[in-house]
Amino acid sequence: MLEPDRTFARRDTALFVFCVALSVGALFAPEPWQYAAASAARSTALAPLIALQRIAEASRTSRTRFDALTAERDSAAVAAQSLPVLLDENAQLRALLDLARRVSPRPVPAEVLHQSLPTDARMLLIGSGRAAGIMPFQPVVSPDGLIGLVRTAGASTALVMTWAHPDFRASAVTLDGSVTGLVGVTADATIREPMLELRGVPYRDSVAVGTPVITSGLGGVFPRGLNIGTVVGVARQSEGWERIYLVRPAAAPARVSHVLVLLGGGVPQPAAAEDSLP
Amino acid sequence: MTAARARRIRFMLVMVLLVGLQFYVRPRLWNPRVAPDFLMLGLMLFAIRSRPGAAALAGFIIGFASDALTPARFGAAMLANTLVGYAAAWGRAVFFADNLLVNAGFIAAGVWLRNLLVLIASGTSGRDLLVQLFLWSPALALSTAIAGVIVLAVFRDWLDIRLEE
Repeated sequence: MLEPDRTFARRDTALFVFCVALSVGALFAPEPWQYAAASAARSTALAPLIALQRIAEASRTSRTRFDALTAERDSAAVAAQSLPVLLDENAQLRALLDLARRVSPRPVPAEVLHQSLPTDARMLLIGSGRAAGIMPFQPVVSPDGLIGLVRTAGASTALVMTWAHPDFRASAVTLDGSVTGLVGVTADATIREPMLELRGVPYRDSVAVGTPVITSGLGGVFPRGLNIGTVVGVARQSEGWERIYLVRPAAAPARVSHVLVLLGGGVPQPAAAEDSLP
Repeated sequence: MTAARARRIRFMLVMVLLVGLQFYVRPRLWNPRVAPDFLMLGLMLFAIRSRPGAAALAGFIIGFASDALTPARFGAAMLANTLVGYAAAWGRAVFFADNLLVNAGFIAAGVWLRNLLVLIASGTSGRDLLVQLFLWSPALALSTAIAGVIVLAVFRDWLDIRLEE
């Protein structure tokens, strides 16, 4: 018969190996399985905790950010003074060019439920979901600019893949419309802060430092005109082929407390699925 | 009710309190990147008074919850918390002194190690890794350690953790 200490030690080792094996299995499991497991946890055991955090975020926002939001609303109200004139001009020009009426996405506000992991800024949990009309592949913005897109949507929460995620891509164009490309987070190990790269710019085109970069509207996910960031220099170039520019993002996912999900696009999903990929 | 059962219930109450702090109080505290990680604190306190196998299992469960809430790299937090829980329980059994500041250092080291493992498992590299490890992670570890000292000082009898006078 084994001594009690040795029995305990073997049991400890067995439990440890079992947990490590499950963790490694989760790391390399297919992506739909990973999202399904995460979704199941969020909609069952973690649901009361997420609800608790949503209450706390709402309370914090209402107390500490009231002044900032009031100032933003006042600025927006001033900017909106000239909106009727611009809309009228736009309608007249579209009529002259025989263009259809521009479709404006409907924004839905959502609180960001930040977590403590250091990878929090890559994938944000937000406190609104399918009940508010949110679907996968809808754009997510903050007052500063583009944050990312909805990856999966549950009944009352959704996951947002931000521009800091290695898999994120968006079709982009400079503000004057002269240069187009694709933006994604930089993999350059020498850059201190998370930055974006504007890739696929032909070598013959050059972009000046300080040029604003916006979404181009190509691809059907992001509408044209969302602020992505500002060009800060050339990251690297392939002689005679292309230049890759470094773009400082306008919005910081790690610091944002609330976002707007732009409804209108996205990919519908069956109502029965709790939280699914498109 | 036996004394052992009463101790277990008191310890569970502290763990429930920490979960409540994580989801109700933490969002109201400063920058989310440096606010104390009460779940990690709970894991470290559990590891201090438990066997390595139980601590590994607790780490796995907490890691699963973290991954479900931030699935940037699903499984990374599970693996990191399992390793940290197991190592913390072994470390406590082998060389740990019953001192409040040493406990605080132990908690801070656990948080920092967890972040290191999560970042590596998530494929973070270069200067971003360095900034995370030497700027944000130490700040998070420090705030969690301070919270740990407060919890240990207030609930030292309930936690059943021996501390030098």
